[in-house]
Amino acid sequence: MNDEGRFGQYGGSFIPEILYSSQQQLLRAYREAMADSNFVNLVRSEMQHFSGRPTPLTFCANLTRQLGGAQIFLKREDLNHSGAHKMNNVIGQGLLAKRMGKPRVIAETGAGQHGVASALVSARLGLDCTVYMGAHDIERQYPNVFWMKQLGAKVIPVTTGAATLKDALDEALRDWSSSYEDTHYLIGTSCGCAPYPEMVAGFQSVIGEEVKDQSLEQFNKYPDRIYACVGGGSNACGIFLPFVNESSELIGVEAGGRGDAPGDHAMRFNTDQARFGIAQGFATKFLQDEQGQLLPTHSISAGLDYVGVSPILADLEENGKVRMTSASDDEVMEAFTLLTRYEGIIPALESSHAVAGGLREAATMNPEESIVISVSGRGDKDIFNIAKALNDKPFNAFLETYLKQSEVA
Amino acid sequence: MSSLQQYIENEREAKSHLLMTHVVYGYPTIDKSLEIMQLMLDQGVELLEVQFPFSDPVADGPTITTACHYALQQEPELTQCIHAISELAQNNPASRVLLMSYLNPLLQLGFANLASQLAENIAGIIIPDLPIDHASMLKPIHSTDVSPIWLITPDMTDQRIRHITEQASGMLYCVSRSGVTGQTDATMSGVQQYLARVRQFTTLPLGVGFGIDSSEDIQHLKGHADIAIAGSTFLNAFNRSGISGINSKLKALSP
Ligand SMILES: Cc1ncc(COP(=O)(O)O)c(C=O)c1O
Repeated sequence: MNDEGRFGQYGGSFIPEILYSSQQQLLRAYREAMADSNFVNLVRSEMQHFSGRPTPLTFCANLTRQLGGAQIFLKREDLNHSGAHKMNNVIGQGLLAKRMGKPRVIAETGAGQHGVASALVSARLGLDCTVYMGAHDIERQYPNVFWMKQLGAKVIPVTTGAATLKDALDEALRDWSSSYEDTHYLIGTSCGCAPYPEMVAGFQSVIGEEVKDQSLEQFNKYPDRIYACVGGGSNACGIFLPFVNESSELIGVEAGGRGDAPGDHAMRFNTDQARFGIAQGFATKFLQDEQGQLLPTHSISAGLDYVGVSPILADLEENGKVRMTSASDDEVMEAFTLLTRYEGIIPALESSHAVAGGLREAATMNPEESIVISVSGRGDKDIFNIAKALNDKPFNAFLETYLKQSEVA
Repeated sequence: MSSLQQYIENEREAKSHLLMTHVVYGYPTIDKSLEIMQLMLDQGVELLEVQFPFSDPVADGPTITTACHYALQQEPELTQCIHAISELAQNNPASRVLLMSYLNPLLQLGFANLASQLAENIAGIIIPDLPIDHASMLKPIHSTDVSPIWLITPDMTDQRIRHITEQASGMLYCVSRSGVTGQTDATMSGVQQYLARVRQFTTLPLGVGFGIDSSEDIQHLKGHADIAIAGSTFLNAFNRSGISGINSKLKALSP
């Protein structure tokens, strides 16, 4: 990476001029903080004592036996406080905001996981927290909104555009344009202008660093293949980056959605609907039409429903260091069910994409090989969507009763 | 000297300030937006800024953002937009027409293509998400007489203002305050000191935009800026009262 925050042709900083000084301030503050061992130790300590790190590397004996291929391990980011890897990033950026003397943070959120994580950390650090969330995502993920509110965060519904993650990001940038003096923009994934992609990937790299130690300890070598779902790309960057110069093959799994037509998926690779573009402060592969308008996206999981992707991953893929594949909504539900039934682990729908990609390939590998799948989050938040996808009628009856009882009360 | 600067200086000889108005191409329809542009030019607006709509206009507030999203339903095409506004510029030689667009639609057309399409009739281009640090992307435009119009902000350091003025041509777009377009809570009264600071570094014409809503706002600029830039206020007027709303806004803001 050079000074401009470039990763090959991707990355950089393309923000309205009004944000220039705060972006420069953030760049300097981040560099200084990372060079300060007190800060680095504080981040590490919070990751341990607040979030419960290190997270385990769990062997899947049943699925390994069932598939008869590679040894299957899961990196358990679902066991972080808040139930997802998002916690790693908000601990780092929350402490950085404190260090910069900014009393307020703003965040965008898709599934609501980053919103909840931001609200948790803000409550702990005494920061004022505002979360922008697409109105459409609020409909799909209300329980997360509920928790954000309980934690004292203000949740602002975004109704412009497709009312999903990209629109929430636009709105957070607009807020930042007038609030930068007292506000840190706490981006939730490895996207946006410099230094965000590098910074978020950096805080998330604890995932891959732990996998290095744990794989040596548990199976005496690095994994042959590592799988992670790719929304904005933060859990993927986190688990991949420490392995980029090792022999492990790195595989990103995108949201294949319900089909290949524009608007039916969120694949930024292996499709001509995504091309080089510059928007939302940075250059990457964006799903866009011929006129350069960003396209709507779809995924069964709100957290993968993003129109761009980390510039770090766009560059790694271009250089053949990461392979990108996808899993459809249906494959994701199948993988979800397999992991739940065979291993007693309930993955988030986002993470179930990585599980789908990993299980698909594990079967074709031999038993001397090992794979690690990033379980970026737990599935509790998805209970409504999963119940619907599995057509669980008693769940509807439960909701009806709940509504009736609330009316009476 | 670019012909845009020449034009502004000539016009300024007889006028205390010029008006730059803003229209979103395709809002509410392509034809209607062209009608609004023609109306503004008929009323003697000197500079017309035409925004090609983008799905993610991060420097714009709710009024322009909503108009852009609405306009996108008309499936506007950049080449057609440039063609239409070039014709408008040709037919209205007493005014100048400028294109405003976020980077991505321009990038998909390509800057070499863009430069040749703009060269004949378009006086300037405003790209709100292109920082001066990436000015080299505009290379093909630098060999035309189309002025890239750079933005100056109130909290910019002297050093960065100087850096920008050294590369600027045509005019400068001085943003009156922090935030996005269309917020009118701030007053223009503090803007004079800021403009005086910018003036130290350049003889280029200065335009001031963001939050200009009334003739009082413009009064504050007189003697300090050359051009008052008004955008959201016209969209709001149109949304309230249609074409006649634009007409009365034009009367209210004209010198
Ligand atoms: C559990 C989980 N996994 C993955 C993601 C996708 O984000 P990223 O690609 O940045 O890891 C999200 C986003 O909300 C998430 O909640």
